[in-house]
Amino acid sequence: MNTGARHLKSLLPALLALPFAVPAAAAGVAAGSLIENTASATYTANAATQTVDSNTVALKVDELLDVAVASQESGAVSATTTAVLRFKITNTGNGPETFTLTANPAVGGNAFNATVLGLAIDTNGNGVYDAGIDTDLANGAVSPSLAADEPLAVLVRVSIPAAAPPNALSKVELTAAATTGAGAPGTLFAGAGVSGGDAVVGASGATHTADATLTVTKAVVTLTKSATVADPFGGARPVPAATITYRIVAEVTGTGTVTGLTVNDAIPAGTTYQPGTLTLEGAALTDAADADAGQGSASAIAVQLGDLAAGAQRTVTFKVKIN
Amino acid sequence: MTSHSNLAAVAALVLGTSLAAPVLAQPTAVTLEGDVKVVHEVVENGKTRETLDEPNQVLPGDRLVFTTHYRNAGDKPVTDFVVTNPLPAPVKLSQTGAFEVSVDGGKSYGPLAALKATGADGKPRAAELGDVTHVRWRLASIAPGASGDITYFAEVR
Repeated sequence: MNTGARHLKSLLPALLALPFAVPAAAAGVAAGSLIENTASATYTANAATQTVDSNTVALKVDELLDVAVASQESGAVSATTTAVLRFKITNTGNGPETFTLTANPAVGGNAFNATVLGLAIDTNGNGVYDAGIDTDLANGAVSPSLAADEPLAVLVRVSIPAAAPPNALSKVELTAAATTGAGAPGTLFAGAGVSGGDAVVGASGATHTADATLTVTKAVVTLTKSATVADPFGGARPVPAATITYRIVAEVTGTGTVTGLTVNDAIPAGTTYQPGTLTLEGAALTDAADADAGQGSASAIAVQLGDLAAGAQRTVTFKVKIN
Repeated sequence: MTSHSNLAAVAALVLGTSLAAPVLAQPTAVTLEGDVKVVHEVVENGKTRETLDEPNQVLPGDRLVFTTHYRNAGDKPVTDFVVTNPLPAPVKLSQTGAFEVSVDGGKSYGPLAALKATGADGKPRAAELGDVTHVRWRLASIAPGASGDITYFAEVR
């Protein structure tokens, strides 16, 4: 971008129109701008007024490489299987620049690490990933060129591993680094700036990282099975003709709701299901496939618990006799 | 640097100018030569000192010193010597000096503290360094062969 010519034209109106119209970005004058200084003098010599101009000294403003990354999330983002984290990249330098965008899901202190599915530019700015509308970027890809001060809405798409426990927290970092180069402030990339000028790393180091936090929202079902044996002799030995009462406790933990939960259990070999012994929460269920929630047969029992919210607990029992 | 602070003498010299016959097409007696340097702060032995370097690299926030070297190359004194320097738009004056300033595009001049500018709210406010559009030096006279430097410091916006 060569703003020098434009700047020269703007100088004259600027002298007339105040305040001074300066092509200044937040980071300062645009890279490539010319600073041209000319002094002129009038004086009297031999009773005549004379004028003289100095030579014009001209400088070209070099490019400052700076960037800022900010999470646009106000708190932890709830996620069950996938999530989209919103970030804003801003070119805080004074010239057009592209930035390498890298999402890192493996941040120290994470309870689990998400998997980065990809990045996207939130083309329509709605804060939601719209497949086919938003521009997909691979993780580690380069952004479009951003003018000085120009922001870019970037979405980081992640998936949550199945093993991630409910309510676990995980940070995902997004780093933007100037492709011209990054490094210690003051690092020089000769000739790499706008219109052949130099590029110099600014205070940000020309790279910046921000993070956003995921929290796992999911319900987890835990089944706990126990057995109580009653032998025909009033004892608890597993001998033929002894009755085993199986107790299955289904517990939902975490957050959210599980839907369509069914408990199935096969009748163990060497035992015989005792018809009419199936219960749910202490209430008897018929063995037939009918209006109630349970079915019992010689091969298996099944109880439809339906939708259960986190915190719910259901107990199923049935009896078999050892053959 | 020659003295250029004797503003009071200007009026007297204007009145005292001899009524010599007009001379046409007199060759320019005074030359102006502009230069610019970047001011860098260097820490040496715990002391900070400023160096003036060639402007190989110029970034927003850098401080520049613009110098105009004037010289009376003629064989007669010149009087009412007034040097006007519009500030390049990408810079702002970083300190006042032995010069007058204008904040209205060169229409009026004075010490910065005496000038008013228009604030963002449209109301007048005290002028600030960033409002300065022009700087101006006035010298009563320059003797034949005499020369000097006039400078101002400005920061890249």
